[in-house]
Amino acid sequence: MSRTDIKTEVEAFLTTHWDSEARRPREGTSRDFAQKVFEAGWAVASWPREWFGRGLDKDDSKIVAAAFRKARAPGAGQDRTNIAAASLMNFASDESFKREILPQLLTGRLAICLLYSEPGAGSDLASIRTRAERNGDVYVINGQKVWTSGARTADYGLLLARTDWDVPKHQGISFFVLPMRQPGIDIRPINQITGDSHFNEVFLDNATVPAKNRIGAEGEGWKVLQTALAVERLVMGEGAGERRQGSSKNNVVSLIDIAREAGQLQDPLIRQKIAQATAYRQLNALNIARAKEELAQGSSSPIMSLGKLAMSRILHTDAAVMTQILGAASMLDGPEHERAADINYRTANAYMTSIGGGTDQIQRNIISERVLGLPREVELDRDVPFRTSRAVTG
Amino acid sequence: MTMIGMEERAAIREGFARLLSDKADDAALRRIMATESGHDAELWKAIGDMGLTGLLIDPAYGGVGGSIVDVEAIMEEAGAALLAGPLLSSAVMAAALISDSTDAAAKARLLPGIASGETIATVAVTGDKGLWTRDDIGVSADRNGVLQGAANYVLAANVADVLLVIAKTGDELAVYEVDPKANGISLQALKSWDSTIRLSRVVFDAAPATRIAGLDGAAVERMLDLARVALAGEQAGASRRIFDITVEYVRTRVQFGRPIGGFQAMKHMAADLLIEVESATSAARAAAQALAAGSTEAPVLVSLAAFACADAFHQVAATSIQMHGGIAFTWEHSAHLYLRRARVDAQLFGASDYHRERYVSALEKAA
Ligand SMILES: Cc1cc2nc3c(=O)[nH]c(=O)nc-3n(C[C@H](O)[C@H](O)[C@H](O)COP(=O)(O)OP(=O)(O)OC[C@H]3O[C@@H](n4cnc5c(N)ncnc54)[C@H](O)[C@@H]3O)c2cc1C
Repeated sequence: MSRTDIKTEVEAFLTTHWDSEARRPREGTSRDFAQKVFEAGWAVASWPREWFGRGLDKDDSKIVAAAFRKARAPGAGQDRTNIAAASLMNFASDESFKREILPQLLTGRLAICLLYSEPGAGSDLASIRTRAERNGDVYVINGQKVWTSGARTADYGLLLARTDWDVPKHQGISFFVLPMRQPGIDIRPINQITGDSHFNEVFLDNATVPAKNRIGAEGEGWKVLQTALAVERLVMGEGAGERRQGSSKNNVVSLIDIAREAGQLQDPLIRQKIAQATAYRQLNALNIARAKEELAQGSSSPIMSLGKLAMSRILHTDAAVMTQILGAASMLDGPEHERAADINYRTANAYMTSIGGGTDQIQRNIISERVLGLPREVELDRDVPFRTSRAVTG
Repeated sequence: MTMIGMEERAAIREGFARLLSDKADDAALRRIMATESGHDAELWKAIGDMGLTGLLIDPAYGGVGGSIVDVEAIMEEAGAALLAGPLLSSAVMAAALISDSTDAAAKARLLPGIASGETIATVAVTGDKGLWTRDDIGVSADRNGVLQGAANYVLAANVADVLLVIAKTGDELAVYEVDPKANGISLQALKSWDSTIRLSRVVFDAAPATRIAGLDGAAVERMLDLARVALAGEQAGASRRIFDITVEYVRTRVQFGRPIGGFQAMKHMAADLLIEVESATSAARAAAQALAAGSTEAPVLVSLAAFACADAFHQVAATSIQMHGGIAFTWEHSAHLYLRRARVDAQLFGASDYHRERYVSALEKAA
């Protein structure tokens, strides 16, 4: 199929099924629409046809994504953005399990949470101590996770657990897709500084996961995690952490609108601040666009690693400029002071991007070490058997 | 000038710090901030018993005859504990304003109660823009002392027995005393992002009021400068406390086989914050000394303290969350309470841009 054929086909699909004006399906529910996108292969266009895709090369996939973006329709480009699906697809795992779960993931019928962090293992994620022990066809899981966003509504958790304590920390980890609705899992909400409680403590007490739900080989969990994290950071770099209170949708507001509304748009000081903040955002968007260009041409782009760090600066700066625009009203909160409440929420929630998914400091280390090839930080327990490392011995 | 010596000041400060660590720790603060009034009457009584509500008040009216230097010192402790309640509005703003007047009757009527803490007073200054400038006064008084208009962002008005209102009278400003429960006055509680602080908008509709003699726009500015220095002290003390908490945390939290404080990224952030904390402390104290001495440097130093301390506190509180990682994203951790206070403090009595402008103007005049 030629490039123009793809374009024609995807546009025809969208015209038939999606009302881009009203931003909703022409008929049926959004779930029906997701199903149609999936069946047409647009959800993961770069994947082979036998794996729910269209076998398109990167350039062609871009055409699909661009058409969906233009129509503001959801569901395409999940080969890039669906953490669970991409991890499952990229690493060998049980074929029947993949066949069973991928369609549900790609049509948004399954909610996923990330069971990575533990009280003693945040930035140093490889120090996790949750254990997975093989017992016939299942693994038995014991341990504690923390900061697990969305655990209460999740059907599955992407679980990082230790299967071998006698090798260095990165080598003894395995990656599982853990069914969340089972007796061995106790979920306790944690109140956040935003006033929400999206994240949770998760206690795993003899929870079980079928062996076929393991992604990648035993001990290869760290490698799988790298893909999953790359997807998560990419998504965050494009602003997935940008939220309005009570909304799960990414939500950008214009500083110019806020300044106009507050009668501050003519203030030269405010104008300078708006320029700077908006520039950070636009420069990041330009970087991402250029990186996608380069990726499409087959070269890897180091720019992709910058997005999350850049987004953290964008979100913190935006909130600061909004505060400056609002002035004294920024002291207020609550439904009667909607703008102030939103700005305060954004101020607090910006830390989700600068801490969650790997802190800014860790991102800077990654950029300098993996992208620039600068020498690694000294890591005392990197090469010792995990059992003898400080994470275990205290 | 103050009647309190250096040693005595240190003792007062120490006693106050002890009181706060006993009666106003994190648990107490959270309990109080969840109440409707946001005011701990028992703690307030203890503060009054220590003489702190009378720091700025002449002994003739039951105070201890201290100065802004003493106030600044105790506000550092108050800030460290994120003390909630009317200390700033009653013992500093209202006390300073009345003390500055020539109105012997008003002094005799109001100061003894404020000094002992039995009377809680507050001052309604700014209008709806919240600029705390002379142009942004939203209440006017007619010849008979009847008030009309609105004052916004009034501190602790919900627990005040006496409300002092800055009102326009033609081209001048004057100060009026009202009972906040009187006819023609309505208080509208404003929910603040910092729930340790209670703000109100006060609306006056033909409200009769008593003028306090001998106070004009210049007196209002003098009172605001005292309030700014007191607030600078609060900011300096609060930034030091959250900084200490943070340094202690990075000293003990282990990742990658070592305390995270061992990573240069953390060390550099800590070192940068220490500059902020120390600068805030120096700025607040220097401004207090200059004001107390009536020095010609006071306008420069007060403006400097106003923005330097506000910005320092904000930066220290904001960076502290980052340095803690996920744990500081929780409601139970105190870091966000410091950020909330920093954001509210940054607006009170004028935001940093305004003070920077005043600073440059003062420098210009001095040059
Ligand atoms: C809103 C939110 C949602 C989250 N959702 C999830 C989730 O769904 N699932 C999940 O598993 N986790 C989740 N997390 C956890 C998140 O990934 C961790 O908080 C993060 O990786 C940091 O770990 P930590 O909190 O243990 O902090 P720590 O690792 O203890 O870090 C504390 C400080 O030390 C610094 N530091 C650590 N190591 C270094 C180093 N080598 N060099 C320089 N500085 C260093 C950090 O930058 C930070 O400033 C979420 C976190 C947040 C805030």
